Amino acid sequence: MTAMTAPSLTRGLLDGPGPSFGDHVVVDGPLPVVDLHTLVQEAALMGRGGAGFPTATKLRSVAAAAASTRRAPVVVANGSEGEPAAAKDATLLLLAPHLVFDGLALVAGSLGATTAYLAADPALLPALSAHLADRSDPVGVRLHPVAYAFLSGEESALCAAIDGKPALPRTKFPPVRERGVGGRPTLVLNVETLARLALVARGSTLAAASMLVTRRMEIGGTPWVDVVDVPLGTPVGDVLRLDDAQAVLIGGYAGTWVEAAEAAQLRLDRDSLAPAGAALGAGVLAALPADRCGLAETARVVGHLAGESAGQCGPCLNGLPRIAAALELLARPLTPPSGLLRDVKRWSGLLPGRGACSHPDATVRLVASTLRVFSDELARHRAGRCRGRSARPFLPVPGRPQ
Amino acid sequence: MTGVVLWYLNRATGITSLVLMTLTVVLGTVVRRHGRIPGLPRFAVQGLHRNVGLLSALLLVTHVGTAIVDSYVDIGVSSSFVPFVAGYRPFAVGLGTLAVDLLLLVLVTSLLRNHLPLRLWKAVHLTSYLLWPLAFVHGITAGTDLGGGWLLVLVIGCAAAATWASLAALAARRNTPPSAERAAAAVTVTSDAFSTGTPVRVFRNG
Repeated sequence: MTAMTAPSLTRGLLDGPGPSFGDHVVVDGPLPVVDLHTLVQEAALMGRGGAGFPTATKLRSVAAAAASTRRAPVVVANGSEGEPAAAKDATLLLLAPHLVFDGLALVAGSLGATTAYLAADPALLPALSAHLADRSDPVGVRLHPVAYAFLSGEESALCAAIDGKPALPRTKFPPVRERGVGGRPTLVLNVETLARLALVARGSTLAAASMLVTRRMEIGGTPWVDVVDVPLGTPVGDVLRLDDAQAVLIGGYAGTWVEAAEAAQLRLDRDSLAPAGAALGAGVLAALPADRCGLAETARVVGHLAGESAGQCGPCLNGLPRIAAALELLARPLTPPSGLLRDVKRWSGLLPGRGACSHPDATVRLVASTLRVFSDELARHRAGRCRGRSARPFLPVPGRPQ
Repeated sequence: MTGVVLWYLNRATGITSLVLMTLTVVLGTVVRRHGRIPGLPRFAVQGLHRNVGLLSALLLVTHVGTAIVDSYVDIGVSSSFVPFVAGYRPFAVGLGTLAVDLLLLVLVTSLLRNHLPLRLWKAVHLTSYLLWPLAFVHGITAGTDLGGGWLLVLVIGCAAAATWASLAALAARRNTPPSAERAAAAVTVTSDAFSTGTPVRVFRNG
C-alpha cells in the first residue's frame, strides 16, 4: 500500500475523494511548474467545449496576439453548459473544481495573463466561491454567472457577456483569440479542457486521452442520466446499454443521429466518428429507446434550437423556424403537405456557412441525420402510423417562458 | 463665355448630385431594412447604395471645383472646406460647405469600414440624415434659378422621397423586436403559419 503522496497517474477526472482543496492536494499534489506549450503539444489535447479545436494551437495564437499587441491576455474557463442534454461541465465543477482552477492558473501563468474568469451557471457559483477562498493563486479568478441559453457558451457571446454587453455571438473576425474580453487577446477554454491540463501537467498520460460523457438512456423503462470519464477509442456499445435502443444521438443537440447497430461499433474518437458523419461535440451520448418516435423527439429539439437563435443573421432567423415547423408536421402520423420534405432539404442546404456562429450549420446537420436515420419512420407516418408508444419525452428541452 | 459654361456646369452637377444623394439615402434605408428591389438580390441593393453614393461624391467634386474656378462668384478654396467664410452668400454657401465636410467624413469612414470599430462607422454614417437636409437647403438658398417649373418639382420630389424613406426606416426600426425576442417570435409565427397552411412572412434581423 503506497501512501498518497505522489499524484496518481491513472486518476480520472471524477474519482477524487471530494471537491475540497484538502482532498485535492492529497490526491493530486501541488501544481508543478511546467512548460505548458510543449506539454500540450505533446499531449495533443483537443478542446472539450464542442468544436474539438487543438488546445496547443489556441494557446500559441493567444500568446502571439498578446506579444504583438503588447497587452496582457485574459483567460476564461468556460463552464456555461447551454446544451440541455449535457451535464458534464456542471458535474466536473461540483466534483473537481480545483482541477479547473489549477488549469486556469497554469494557462494564466504560461500566458502572463492578469485576469482570469470562470463562467458557469449561477447556481454553482456560491460553492465555487467558497472553494476559491481556499486557494492562493497569483491571478485571482473572477466568477461570472452565465444566463441559461444555448448560445451563451459560444466564445464571442461569452466574452461580450463578461464585458457587460448582450450575450450575442459576433463574426469570426477578429477572432476572440486576438480581441476578446475588454478588447484584449482572450483564451477561452472549456472547464474539462482545463481540468485535463491540470492532470497532464502532473504527468498523467491518460488525462488527454479520455473524455467526459453525459450518458442518457433508459434501463428497463427507467430514465438513466450520468456523467462518466471514458477513454477515447472506447466503442459506443461499451459506454451505453443499447439492447433496447433504436438510435444514438452522438455529440448532443449540435450532433448527429446514428442507428444503434452502427453506433455500437463506433469508437469514440474524432477519426473513427468522422466517417459516420458524427463528432464528439459536447460529449453527449443519448440512446433513444425503441418506444419513442425519433422524428417527434428531434422536432421538439429543433424547435428549441430555432428559438435559441440569436436572431442576428437572416438565414438563421428565417431558416430554422421554417425547418422546425416543417419537422413538427413531419413528426405527426399524417400525410404531410406535398413537397414539404423537399423544402426541408432545400432550406437545409441554404443555411451552412451563412451565420456569424455555427448554430445554423449544426442544427441543419442534426436535421439531415434525422431524415436519414428515421427514414422508415417518415414512411410509417405517411401511412398514418407512428412507433412512439411512450408519452414521456426522452430528450430534455427547457420550457420557454411565454 | 467660360463663365456661362462654368455656371451651367456648376448648376447641373449640383442638382444631379442632390438627386443622387437622395437616391443614396433611399437606397440606404432599403439596405437598413433588408428590403428588396424587384429584380435585384439584396447584396446588389447594397452595391447600388455604395456606387450611387460614390457617384454623387464625384459630381460634388466638379460642383465645388467649378464654384472655385468661376471668377463671377467669390468662393475660394478655403471656403469649400471651412463653412461661412465665402464672399458670396456666405450662409447659403456655408451650408453646402458643411454638407461637403460631412460627406467627406461619411465617405472616408465607409471606405475604411473594415478597419474601424463598427460603432464609429455607424455613428458617422448616421450623420447622413443631417447631411442631406444641409445639401437640400443649400440648393434652394444658394441656387439662383429656382423660380418655378420642372426644377422646383424635382427638388420637392427629392425632399418627399428622402422624408418618406427616413420615416419608413424609423418605423421599421421601431417595429423590429430586440434580438433576444426575435427568434422565439419567429418560431411561434412560423409554426402557426405552417399548421394553417398560410404563407410565412420574412423576419427582419435588424
